[in-house]
Amino acid sequence: MMTNYTITRTDWTAVFRAGGSGIVAIVRTVRNIFTLALRTPAGRIGLPIVLIHLILALLGTWLAPYDALEHHLEHQLEAPSWQFLMGTDVFGRDILSRVMSGAGSIIGISAAGALLGIALGTIVGMGSGYKGGKTDEVVMRIMDGVMSFPSLLMALLVLTSLGKSAVYIILTIGVVFMPPISRVMRSTTLALKTQEFVQSARMRGEPVPYIIFREILPNTWSVLAVELSVRLSYAILLASSLGFLGLGVQPPSPDWGLMISESRRYLVAAPWVALAPAFAVATLIIGVNLLTDGVRQARRLPLKGTHP
Amino acid sequence: MNEKQQGIAPLVQVDQLAVTFYTPTGVVHAVRDASFEIMRGQVLGLVGESGCGKSTAAFAIMGYLPGIHRVEGHISFEGRDITEMSASEVRELRGNRIAMVYQDPATSLNPSMRVGPQVEESLQTNLNLSSQQAHERTVRLFESVGLADPANIGRRYPHELSGGMQQRIVIALALACDPDLLIMDEPTTGLDVTTEATILDLVVDLKRRVRAGILFVSHNLGVIARVADRVAVMYAGQVIEQAPVRELFKNTHHPYTAGLLSCVPRPISEDEVTTKLISIPGVVYEASRDDIDACLFASRCPMVQDQCQEEAPEMFNAGNEHESGCFFWNDVQKGLWEKEIPREEIDHEGSLVLTAENLRKFYGRWQRKYLFFGPRVKPPVRALVDADFDVRSGRTLGVVGESGSGKTTMARTVAGLTPRNRGELKLRGEDLAPEVEERNRQQRDALRMVFQNPTASLNPQLPISHTILRSLRKLAGLNRKESRERAAELLQAVGLDPAYLGRLPGELSGGEQQRVALAGAFAGNAEIIIADEAVSSLDVSVQAQVLDLLGKHQREEGTSYIFISHDLGVVRYVSDDIMVLYAGHVAESGPADSVLKPPMHPYTEALLSAAPVPDPDAKPTTIRLPGAVPTLLERFQGCFFAGRCPRKLGPICDQTPPPERVGPDSHDHVIYCHITVEELKAMQQ
Amino acid sequence: MVRFLAVRLSLIILTLLVVSVIIFMVTEVLPGDAAQQQLGQSATPESLAALRASMGLDRPAYVRYFDWIGSALQGDLGESLKYKKPVAEVIGPRLYNSVILLIFAFVISVPTAVITGVWAGVRRNSFGDQFVSIMSLVGISLPEFVTGILFIVIFASWLDWLPSSSILLPGTSPLTRPSILVLPTLTMTGVLFAYIMRMTRANVIDVMETDYVRTAILKGLPMRRIIFRHIIPNAMLPTISVIAVNIGWMLGGLIIVENVFAYPGIGSLLLVAIVSRDVPMLQALSLIIAMTYAVSNLFADLSYGLLNPRIRIS
Repeated sequence: MMTNYTITRTDWTAVFRAGGSGIVAIVRTVRNIFTLALRTPAGRIGLPIVLIHLILALLGTWLAPYDALEHHLEHQLEAPSWQFLMGTDVFGRDILSRVMSGAGSIIGISAAGALLGIALGTIVGMGSGYKGGKTDEVVMRIMDGVMSFPSLLMALLVLTSLGKSAVYIILTIGVVFMPPISRVMRSTTLALKTQEFVQSARMRGEPVPYIIFREILPNTWSVLAVELSVRLSYAILLASSLGFLGLGVQPPSPDWGLMISESRRYLVAAPWVALAPAFAVATLIIGVNLLTDGVRQARRLPLKGTHP
Repeated sequence: MNEKQQGIAPLVQVDQLAVTFYTPTGVVHAVRDASFEIMRGQVLGLVGESGCGKSTAAFAIMGYLPGIHRVEGHISFEGRDITEMSASEVRELRGNRIAMVYQDPATSLNPSMRVGPQVEESLQTNLNLSSQQAHERTVRLFESVGLADPANIGRRYPHELSGGMQQRIVIALALACDPDLLIMDEPTTGLDVTTEATILDLVVDLKRRVRAGILFVSHNLGVIARVADRVAVMYAGQVIEQAPVRELFKNTHHPYTAGLLSCVPRPISEDEVTTKLISIPGVVYEASRDDIDACLFASRCPMVQDQCQEEAPEMFNAGNEHESGCFFWNDVQKGLWEKEIPREEIDHEGSLVLTAENLRKFYGRWQRKYLFFGPRVKPPVRALVDADFDVRSGRTLGVVGESGSGKTTMARTVAGLTPRNRGELKLRGEDLAPEVEERNRQQRDALRMVFQNPTASLNPQLPISHTILRSLRKLAGLNRKESRERAAELLQAVGLDPAYLGRLPGELSGGEQQRVALAGAFAGNAEIIIADEAVSSLDVSVQAQVLDLLGKHQREEGTSYIFISHDLGVVRYVSDDIMVLYAGHVAESGPADSVLKPPMHPYTEALLSAAPVPDPDAKPTTIRLPGAVPTLLERFQGCFFAGRCPRKLGPICDQTPPPERVGPDSHDHVIYCHITVEELKAMQQ
Repeated sequence: MVRFLAVRLSLIILTLLVVSVIIFMVTEVLPGDAAQQQLGQSATPESLAALRASMGLDRPAYVRYFDWIGSALQGDLGESLKYKKPVAEVIGPRLYNSVILLIFAFVISVPTAVITGVWAGVRRNSFGDQFVSIMSLVGISLPEFVTGILFIVIFASWLDWLPSSSILLPGTSPLTRPSILVLPTLTMTGVLFAYIMRMTRANVIDVMETDYVRTAILKGLPMRRIIFRHIIPNAMLPTISVIAVNIGWMLGGLIIVENVFAYPGIGSLLLVAIVSRDVPMLQALSLIIAMTYAVSNLFADLSYGLLNPRIRIS
């Protein structure tokens, strides 16, 4: 049996320092993503798309020509025109403004949810994987159980029991994403913990938290970075699907999924009401996926064994 | 082309071959300038350290190179240039006229296909045989490469065969279509010495039987000495010396070759009293650097002159079909690398530091047929069974054995990385807990470990100062400032600049990484350092540097070592005492000379016999171990070695565990065998 | 192999146990229990307590859990609060409709995805491969409700070829009106095809980089044989588990697709159950979906075991 160590003061500094090196690593990773992304066609297309969405997320409300909630009652369900570039919805609200203002909430919620999932999954996965034995068995069975639900169903169940609010959506995404991420982190930890540098840390008498956070964690950044980008696109998918099903951010907030859902009644007469937010969701996810793909391709560019 | 001309003209003529790879991380000059010829019925040995381009040269002949690359020069096969052939012409040659044996047989065979069809499909494609004919021929091939039960072995999957059997299948596959050229790329590198010896026997036998020319690529001079007729030595992508095998080993005309030869520890030399070893300073001229107008070996050469730095040498003819790429080939002397590191044999008894009694480690537990119930179907792996040994102060205990003999398990249980199931471990009389986490600081400080893979033993994300500083602070109890100073001293002690402290392990070469790992182990006040295959992954020229550091530290600090290696030569060189392990059991242990000169246990005898000797005139040895190490699942009724013992007496070996005998020279020499020392001596004559 | 089976089976049983606990826990903490639901917000505490006692809601949670799982095992899924009918009766025909949709989507997407994946993987970096790869990336990126809406706009509103919703008269099979199946099936196929194709391609590329494919090439075998004898059999093994994971994905997609097209299956029923807080129905549907996923995983494991000589032999 492995002895349990209480975290002493010095170990907390180790944890903080791991956090510090984490920030350094994040900065380094972001810089790497830029340079790597620009090496492949997929990345060169994906990066600007993602950047535009990020700008919208930060400044969308401010840049939008109208207030997203403002009713122009004399202009209901109007087709795109110079006044309303993407037309208006049934209350005469400017669709372009609603799409632009909606970017912030979906990107914010998805990113926060994905990060929460990563954080939870990392802690559970690494702890369980390093500890091994019975604890690991039990934890992994529970994760298997959670993963037996399609993520949308799990999210629906959790969200119905929590109630509707942005914070709960973030929490839900985090809970739903934790099991697959913890699996990935567990297998990474299992592979790393047999490495000699971990054995040598054990032989020095380093406590378990030190080994996990200071020795193992820095070696998982690349796995985490890939996982984060993949999860981000799933989170956008999940959050917008929840919105579409009416369980996301509540009206009248400009939520893309909700806008599409509400547009269904006028689909024949006014398809633009649906098309603008659909376009926005689609480009956002495509952009994130292209960027991820580009970085991944650039990473493993060393060309192996192709038939000459 | 008539028969006569074919006999004279070389089968393959490689002329000024250069292969350059263009990778995202930069240009790699894998081969810079290689010229050699292969004659029919002749084995050309291509030898060199890792990264010298020998495998790339071999694959270039196959017309198979990965990634974006450029090939310059010519490779003519029976007068036709392979570099200028179309893809379909090259495919015509592959498998049919030119065949290859690979380094790792386990990954070179398709895991989801039975081995028979893997050979048959080559016959059907290349020779248009019917499936019946192909099957019959495959059975004959399996027989000719010495596989037992050739008629049925084809129905097995690769994972059901041992490494040696897999390699025989790959050889059978290569021989399938009677190729004119056989390329063997490190065919024995991943195998145990005992298996290696049997595969080399097969290669020597093939040389007599088939008319093909053979290109044999290896980093191991002992292996080359055994099989090659002619040898080409490569360094930094260049062939720097080439000669018939005896000529090369006798009259070496290049300082690098001379250095390589004196780097290799010999397993046993009855004529030489002291074993000695030299090391070549510096590192190999890297493949990422451009060609320059100079000798690429100049920076490491003991006889370097101004001329070497100013122009690139060509190949000079030294007579006797001997060519050398050294301006001063005629000055290369036997004693060139005289800066030998003498290793004094230690006379003193030493006090007992560590004692192990009945040390036992079984992995896993009994598995049942239906998981929780049903009959017990799979027993645990008996990795180490009741081993007894002592480690004495200032002495080195060498541990040898094939893979699966329990060497690493022994090291890990002593280190506390895997908890033992049973048995006692005492450090200076004090009991050691099974797990390292439960041991106190003094005990952890006293027992350090150096691992096989230097790249993995340093955290790739943290600067190299990390390992050393943490050791100093956790074990030696120094404060931040003191440990900084001490770390710098330690790095200097292992021959590295203290400026290295801030570097990441990835920026260091394998040898440098291992020296950092040593500095970490030297950081506290270790009484025992366990070195688990610590030099096995290093090139021979670097291996000596690490061994030298270990020896120096021992002389200065009186540290004891447990030195684990599969290489008898290295173990012989460093050890004062030797323990021979087989299938988790101690076969023999005692003072090094008593154990090895002459061997008194059939297993030790077989290990010695199998070890390749870098001398083409060495007496060919005859004792071979058939088969592989047992699975360790069964409990042995009689002697653990009975299944493979070449000197097996009879039923007694199968039924009764071997008695413990004491050797004639020393009371500390223990032999577990039914055969008495005198009987074995008689058998050996 | 026997042991492999035993291990797999017991793992599945364990997982299902965890699944049932999760469902029970999540639905139990729903604000407002079944009694509250029936009586409404204005109910007096006394009448609530009385109804709770009569429904057995006052018993401890673990007793109610065993009660629920016990009857579920005997096929009794309880009574729907919304429809006031046994849950099984409500679910039955809906499940049939969903299964038909799933089978269509599965049969169309899996073989085409695998074939395309192998084709693209073998021709890595060719124009065809890059085209297919980009299309599949778009495919996995589009949420089902986006594709569904697009299909409705194009095929229903604009071209007027197909109906925009898949409403059925109760008691009729969707097979009697195949036209309503086309758009939902196409929508589900999109993501599934793209994902399986991408994974197959990745597996093929991995296998192409192995030493044994190098051996096959250097044996002088023609490319066709290398692909069919050496690459495909080894690339298919990991692909099987990818397909199983996708069945889970399909079940999630079902919820969206059925809602987009108002298709009368369990996905749209699930949303009804959530909105109306029909706990027994929600529990039953979640259990069915999770079980389907777990069983498909079991099948994947078994076929993996059957095809992989390493497991088959030992």
